[in-house]
Amino acid sequence: MADDGTSTTSASPTAAEDGALQEALAAAHAAVWGYGVVGAALPVESREPVVAAEQAHQDLRDELTGLLTSRQVDPVDDEAGYALPFPVLSAIDAAALAVTLEEGASGAWTWVLDQAVERSTRELAVAALTAAELRAVGWRAQAGSTPVTSTFPGLPEA
Amino acid sequence: MSGPLSSPLSAAVLTRRSLLAAAVAGTALLTVACTGSAGDAADAVTPEQVDQLAAQVQVQAQLVSAYDQALAADPALAATAGPLAEQARAQLERLRAAAPGSTPSAAASPTGAPAVDPAGARAWLHTRVTLAADAHTAACPEFTGGRAALLGSIAAGLRGQQGQLA
Repeated sequence: MADDGTSTTSASPTAAEDGALQEALAAAHAAVWGYGVVGAALPVESREPVVAAEQAHQDLRDELTGLLTSRQVDPVDDEAGYALPFPVLSAIDAAALAVTLEEGASGAWTWVLDQAVERSTRELAVAALTAAELRAVGWRAQAGSTPVTSTFPGLPEA
Repeated sequence: MSGPLSSPLSAAVLTRRSLLAAAVAGTALLTVACTGSAGDAADAVTPEQVDQLAAQVQVQAQLVSAYDQALAADPALAATAGPLAEQARAQLERLRAAAPGSTPSAAASPTGAPAVDPAGARAWLHTRVTLAADAHTAACPEFTGGRAALLGSIAAGLRGQQGQLA
């Protein structure tokens, strides 16, 4: 696994962008794994948004993998294992984990916006960031968090 | 714990996000079209971008004004829209900080604006939030560096607000 994409792209004009895309890909891998935990903690009748969110991250994962590969960059693999940030023992915990996953994705996509040199990459990033925040809003509501909206998704509030 | 899950990635993202925040705050100190070694070249802006960023500040100022108008027309909206208005105001301040030469006096004024129908205030406000989000989303790819990140973040935040006003 390349740690930041720079090992294979040091001479590329998109090296920094590729490094940020690698982080977005790592966040997508983590989200796909994490939504498995979220779904397992929710009753079957509540899993529709989990399936949709997992599919969205899978689609981004595949798009990023294809984009990086087309640039001769070795895309990062998923981790062999992930540690949950807190125990997921209830539906509230599951929603809170989903918030964590989406906010992690938002942070990665905001970093892509910061680093991108290609306009098409910024278009992809703002769309992915927006989608992550919209999902996060729904999960914050289910987790009982207030406010459910974020002033600066992906950026520090201060 | 701010990363997606426990992994080495978390620390890297945190560090870079902090740097990004500093970069956005620092851009206001750069001179127009500065490409010197003192700043990140990605955060330099062309004269055209200065104009466009000023336009996005104006879009956000108009949205803040719209919140004030809607809340004045329908005080019952305060429970829902009050916190959203504060978020919109914070976004405006951050945008101004990133816009060279922007001043607080550039805020849009509701003076002379047509009164908002209390019965339709929520829908009217929803439309204003949608228009502002559309404008920031369209402008975001025109910029690079911290300003692209800031505009994208604000656009995403406003999309979240849309749903609360639907």
